[in-house]
Parts: sequence; structure tokens; C-alpha cells
Amino acid sequence: MPKPIRIWLAPPGPNPWKVIIVLEELQIPYEITSIRFENIKAKPFIDLNPNGRVPAIEDPNTGLTLWETGAIILYLIEQYDTEKKLTYDTVVERNRLNQWLMFQVSGQGPYYGQATWFQVLHSEKIPSAINRYVEEAKRVCGVLEGSLAGKKWLVGDKITFADLAFVPWNDRLDAVLMCEGEKKFEGFPLVKAWHESMISRPSWKKAMEIRAKLMDIQGLAWNGMPKGVSNMEEYVEKIKKDAEAAGK
Amino acid sequence: MATRPDIHLYTTQTPNGIKISITLEELGLPYKVTKIDISKNTQKEPWFLEINPNGRIPALTDTFTDGKTIRLFESGSIQQYLIDQYDKDHKISYPRGTREYYEMNSWLFFLNAGVGPMQGQANHFSRYAPEHIEYGVKRYTNETRRLYGVLNTQLEKSTSGYLVGDKCTIADIAHWGWVTAAFWAGVDIDEFPALKAWDERMLARPGVEKGRHVPERHTIKDLQKDPAKMKEIAEKSKAWVQQGMAADAKK
Repeated sequence: MPKPIRIWLAPPGPNPWKVIIVLEELQIPYEITSIRFENIKAKPFIDLNPNGRVPAIEDPNTGLTLWETGAIILYLIEQYDTEKKLTYDTVVERNRLNQWLMFQVSGQGPYYGQATWFQVLHSEKIPSAINRYVEEAKRVCGVLEGSLAGKKWLVGDKITFADLAFVPWNDRLDAVLMCEGEKKFEGFPLVKAWHESMISRPSWKKAMEIRAKLMDIQGLAWNGMPKGVSNMEEYVEKIKKDAEAAGK
Repeated sequence: MATRPDIHLYTTQTPNGIKISITLEELGLPYKVTKIDISKNTQKEPWFLEINPNGRIPALTDTFTDGKTIRLFESGSIQQYLIDQYDKDHKISYPRGTREYYEMNSWLFFLNAGVGPMQGQANHFSRYAPEHIEYGVKRYTNETRRLYGVLNTQLEKSTSGYLVGDKCTIADIAHWGWVTAAFWAGVDIDEFPALKAWDERMLARPGVEKGRHVPERHTIKDLQKDPAKMKEIAEKSKAWVQQGMAADAKK
């Protein structure tokens, strides 16, 4: 049994949960250090990740500290998925998995993220910017829809880390598109079925239970900001005020 | 059994395209090139979507070890494929399972998920967007500058002059096309001395020099000195970016 891996995260955003569900699926022991949003770009966390973004992991079994979800997932798979539960050892499939993972981290994450920023977090509503990222999110769904035609999973005949990587962002597609939850996959029935088969797994349920608890401890609402705060400018202002109050 | 490598690269003169040709040159691999004309939307044609369902360059095909064709897309995964298959001497990578291998992946993902998309958005809002939105320009230019600061700090600490360990790796190569085009996104490289020195160090490598001119001359450095030409290119790009956006929105 390996020693538990320490994973540093802030609960609101989607990215840490990508790593948590892989840890859960592989039953790798782990411990969470939950930090607040305002401490992400500060010590001690930036000593682990110079980019000041969550998550990062410290693995006492190998002494390795690692950041960027894509790199973390590839490491966990190589190091701990010895039975190939979430991967393949054949070279064609392995490269296909990497391809979809890269598409997720560079194609889905950044653009869903920008859409959410302009839809939810930014104080001023800029229609052309919202439109740009909403259209791109829909385009990404279209690529997934086409690639899932005739199959259940992106690569091969079983669930892999590449499928799982898409779950946290697709789960908040309603905030990306600003629509009702049940309408978020309209026009993408295969993506919907694929997504729903993954969120019904124990790994996702467990991850969301942990998230709810950690959000609550930090007093955060669904949008990742403190209850009663409605956009990022107000949040930044509140952080500043709280810091001043603490300094007095 | 077909002979390997039998690499065919589908690409355009962009930061994401040249990272593959530079990787191929650094490894000394033979390859065929097809130029994809993104202004004519060649990347959305059915034959290309067969190779990359996402309709983006670069894409690459090769004869795989089983004698059949393998099709790959996403520049990061193409780079990983090339070192896995052909960098047995670890010229631009580290052996799987080593600390440096995983750290190289951190920086590779940092480029693919961070620098590339954010600098791309900075280009969009400062060069191509239908209306000038000061907030959009600032948001992405500032984020690009922040990311450059992270790179600069890493390079200041480096004893080799490269991002990870004692040599230039695919992580450095992935960054170069973007960093060397910093000015296009409104970022002044002079603010980041270690990164600027790295840019010049990279450019001095024969593999970079050869690979950057694929499928045609790499002119971004010359463009910086020619504001009139810069404007002309931005206007042209603006026209087809907006055409593409309109076409995507109709689907």
C-alpha cells in the first residue's frame, strides 16, 4: 500500500476534481490540503507550483512534486495504474488517450473557463466576448458528439482517464452556456449519455461530497464566491477589506 | 512491413505548427509536409477531419509498428508520440519514469493549457476582434505577462538555460513559437530578461532555425520591424477569423 499522496486544492474550480476522480477510481490513498482562493498565488503554495494554480500533488512514495492536471494524471496512471484499469498499454491506444487529454486541457478547459468568466464572474456583461466563448464551447461539444458516434467511450471499449478528464467542466456546462441544468446538453445526446454514465459512478459522487464539505468550510456559494458576493470585483474588494481588518 | 518513419505533417505557419517541424528537425527525422491553408478553411474539409475531428492544425500521420497508419492531433500529444517512438537517445526528452520526465510534462501542459490559449486570446482581442474591447485586451495580455513571469523565474533558476534539467526538451520547443511572437500579443519581451536570452538561445539551434520555416518562411521577427506590413497581416487575419466565427455560429 503506497503512502497517501498529498493533493493541494481550492474547492471551487473544476480542475482539482479531475485528479480526485482518478485517485478515487484507482483507489490510491490521498490526503487533501484545502486552501483559499486568495492564497493560491502566495507562499507556501507557489513553492509547489510556480504558476499559482491548483491542484498540485506531493507524492511521498517517490518524492515528486507535480502540477498541471494533465501531467499529474499521466503520472498517476504510469505509476499506480499497474492493472491498466483506466488506460491501455498498447501504443496506439496510449497515444489516442494522450491526444484526448491534450484536447481537454487545451481545448475544453481554457474556453469553458473563459465563457464562465464572462458569464458569471466578470462584473460587466460583454456580449461579443460571451458569444465568442459560448460558441467555442458548443463547437467542442460538437467534436465530442461526433467522436462518440457508435461508441461508449472515447478510446477503446472501457472508461479511461481521457473520458474522466472531461467530466468536471462538462458538469458545469450550464454555467458556461447560462442555461438550465437539464438543457445543457441540448443537441448533444451522445455527450449527455456519456457524461451521465460517468457522474453516476461512486468516484464522482464521492468527489462532489468532499467538494460540498470543503466549500462549506470556506463559506462559499455555488459560484465559488463567498455567499452574498455576485462578481469577481466584489470578491477581490472583500478579500482586500478582510485582509485590512485582519491587519488591524 | 512498411518502413518507418513515414511521417506526414499537416501544418500552417503558426506557433502550434512550427513546434512539430522543429521537434522533427531536432530529432533529424525525415517527413513530408502538406500546407493547410486556414484562410481557405482547408482544415474543415472532410479528408482533414478524418485525421483531426477538431479541425485544427497541426495533425500528423505515420506508419505505426503494426504496419497501419496512425493519425494524431493536438500538438502536445504529437510531440509526446515523436519522443516516445523516435527519441531513443533522449536528445530532447528524458527517460520515462525519471523526475525530469514528469517535470517536462508539467511545463508542456503549462504551454498547451496556459500560454497557448491565453496568448491566443490576447491576439484575438488586440488584433482580430470585431470590436475593440479594452477589458478583453487587458485581461489576456496581463495573463500572458503573468505566465511569462513564471517562465522567466524558472529560467533564472536554471543552470542549463532550458526549462527542465540539463538540455532543451519538447517543453522548450513547444514554448518557442509563442514566446518569440510575444509582441503580436502586445507583450514586451524586454520585461523578461531570462526569457529573452532563452529566446535567442533557442533561435541559435540549427533544428529551430530549420524547423521554424515550415511550411513557409517564419516572418514574425521581421514583421516586428515593419508596422505597415503588420497592420496589413492583422487586417487579413481579422477578416477570416470573423468569417470562421460566423460560420461556426451557424452550425
